[in-house]
Amino acid sequence: MSDVASIESRLTELWETPKTLRGWFATVDHKELGIRYLVTAFAFLLVGGLEALLMRIQLSRPDQAFLSPEVYDQVFTMHGVTMIFWYASPILTGFAVYLVPLMIGARDMAYPRLNAFTYWSFLISGIFLYVAPLIGQAPHAGWFAYFPYTGTRYSPSRGMDFYALSLIFLTISTTGAAINSIVTILRLRAPGMAISKMPLFLYSTLTISFLILFALPALTAACVFLELDRQWGTHFFKIANGGDPMLWQQLFWFFGHPWVYVIFLPATGMVSLIVPVFSRRPIVGYPYIAIATILTGLVGFSVWLHHMFTVGMSDMAMSFFSAGSMTISIFTAVQVFAWIATIWMGRPVLTSAMYFAVGSIALLVVGGLSGVFTGIIPVDWQVHNTYYIVAHIHYVLIGANVFPVFAGFYYWLPKMTGRKLDEALGKCSFWIMFIGFNVGFFPMHILGLIGMPRRIYTYQSGLGLENMNVIVTVGAFVLGIGILISILNLLWSLRNGPLAGKNPWNSDGLEWETESPPKPYATVHIPTVISRHPLWDDYEEESDPANDRILDEQRLTLVTSWLDAEPTSIATIPKDTLVPLILAIVLFFFFFALVFQWLMGALLSFLITVLLTYYWLWPKPAEATQ
Amino acid sequence: MSVALQCPRSSPSISELPLEERRGSYAMWCVIATESALFASFFAAYFYLGNNKARWQVDHPPKLLIALVLLAILVSSSFVLEWGKRRVVERRYAAARFLLAVTIFMGLVFLVLQAYEYIDHWKTLTPFSDSYGSIFYAITSFHAAHVIVGLLMLAYVLVLPRYAPARETPFRPYETVALYWHFVDVVWILVVLVLYVIPNMIAHG
Repeated sequence: MSDVASIESRLTELWETPKTLRGWFATVDHKELGIRYLVTAFAFLLVGGLEALLMRIQLSRPDQAFLSPEVYDQVFTMHGVTMIFWYASPILTGFAVYLVPLMIGARDMAYPRLNAFTYWSFLISGIFLYVAPLIGQAPHAGWFAYFPYTGTRYSPSRGMDFYALSLIFLTISTTGAAINSIVTILRLRAPGMAISKMPLFLYSTLTISFLILFALPALTAACVFLELDRQWGTHFFKIANGGDPMLWQQLFWFFGHPWVYVIFLPATGMVSLIVPVFSRRPIVGYPYIAIATILTGLVGFSVWLHHMFTVGMSDMAMSFFSAGSMTISIFTAVQVFAWIATIWMGRPVLTSAMYFAVGSIALLVVGGLSGVFTGIIPVDWQVHNTYYIVAHIHYVLIGANVFPVFAGFYYWLPKMTGRKLDEALGKCSFWIMFIGFNVGFFPMHILGLIGMPRRIYTYQSGLGLENMNVIVTVGAFVLGIGILISILNLLWSLRNGPLAGKNPWNSDGLEWETESPPKPYATVHIPTVISRHPLWDDYEEESDPANDRILDEQRLTLVTSWLDAEPTSIATIPKDTLVPLILAIVLFFFFFALVFQWLMGALLSFLITVLLTYYWLWPKPAEATQ
Repeated sequence: MSVALQCPRSSPSISELPLEERRGSYAMWCVIATESALFASFFAAYFYLGNNKARWQVDHPPKLLIALVLLAILVSSSFVLEWGKRRVVERRYAAARFLLAVTIFMGLVFLVLQAYEYIDHWKTLTPFSDSYGSIFYAITSFHAAHVIVGLLMLAYVLVLPRYAPARETPFRPYETVALYWHFVDVVWILVVLVLYVIPNMIAHG
């Protein structure tokens, strides 16, 4: 026994981040960073939610003057940008950063320092974005920022510069996180966890990481062109000199539609893990879900034109992209039917997490169906730029992102905090959110069909829009109250929740093999796996008679082959460092200098970036001695 | 269920496994993938802007000669670097370091010559003249920026105390950086093809 204790204390000493101020800023522990990702992204959800409530107050009655038209434009733009870029994707990255290493039995991500850097640059790029409203020059052209309006003629303030540059800044973070996920998932899986045995969440995370690699550069290019046009007098979008405003739309939506799947697929991956656990049986159709996930990602690249059906293009192109959009619904339906079949064939246990998962399936179906409608060209022409689209996007994004995220919170927070949340409060929160959401967003379909355009700051009385707008506003506030109850539930559970123990839900995933909350080194022995459901089979994952898989000489984890997960080598994991944080701060100044066209400042920041990167990569003495 | 047969068995025992040293190149491949998509977006913008335009590069195709010289320099620099990489494998570090220095020198020559080409171009075409000028300078200067970043990487490996594929520097920096340099090289081949060769072919029938 004392031997085990000494091994544990040695591992703890190796992996633990000292609880000092420096340790807090310098940590590269994926568990610490994952929680920070979740907290930060959730904070952005609350900020974006408050902005939504401001809009709903303004629209609750006709001819209101609660927000001026200019402020209203800024509020809906900040709402969209915050939710789409700084909440929806990073919150899933947070789950991935926290859970993926635990799910695959690795001790950290493949690039822990990059992990720290992507977190800090995510946070600091968000701060960068919110500098804009603080100095009174917020972006105001909607989250997809179509060109003539974003040019200097109609947007003379610095708002659009903040928009474009903060997105490029965030792109760096997102791309880094994607690379980290790809290499972690492909190379750090526990021995035996062949690619056919990975949890489905890894399939979705892997798919979206590749989507990010190939789709995000289009956004970067578009933002670079926009900045050059706005600040340096080029003519990419200016039609007078041979430019083309459509170029912005093409590039933006080439990025934009795959991005919808980036913020949707990992959430479905979470549902695919939660539903079988609470149906008490393995998921139905594992390979079909995996393939559908990958195909959604692939076909997601050939649907972007359906955002632009009204701008005018050849019938051939429109038909092709309409068909592409319909195809996606087949892959989504595969997943939905697999979940329904799993519940049907299982013995459902109705916990809060299951409530949220099932609620998300219901909302996803509604949102998916309205998506099929909008994929049909004549319908799209009718409902384009109306509240119908607003209803559709919110059914998809809240149904297939926020609800799964809450399911994930109720399911995995006991692992992260060590304490379960209150079930009664959770179900209460679910029902209030579910009812509030539907009351708030379903009438928007009708509002759109009877012709209320989106992005208007007010409407006249007597158009028949008053009643439903009041209902929508009430629903939005009810939804907010539901979210608040879950937050209170979490805060309450941190002190008073029942202790979770290792595996409170009797789940199958490797992450439940660890303590709650996990030790800094996760498990004493790197686990091995022989089935898709490691904790449901009879095989002992940590069985290691020769003590081969303790790896306690320094920070180490096991590398395996990408297909069959045969052990191939041992990876060193770097120590805590402040460089990622400093680098992210320097990048803040780099982009800040660019906003104000201060070239010397930008050049200086770039040089510091280069030197810091050299220092980051320089072999450290401790590594050299091994 | 033959569970026992499925048990993961590793032929070398875990304790005998080597240290992992390929993470650098994995990350670099991912960077190359995403950078390729970036240049693909730029090329797409080039064709998109050129589509249905009355005046495009066909009227005044950029001069081919310097671009081809630049191409020759960059491609041969890739070969020199690859040669140096072989020396690393043979553990002839001094030779490897020398060839790396030669590569850097060729990269610098590339930049100087491109600056000269820009000065020549500027007389007839600037980024501010029209959309063609904008995208032409955007693509070529973005490529130049990648050459500069590549040179910074090469310089880093040049001053590294030791870059053997050994445990001291576990991530094979020489190989990783060479990957990036080859990528920059391939992009220039595409740039020459799309921005220089094809317009000249069209213009001269």
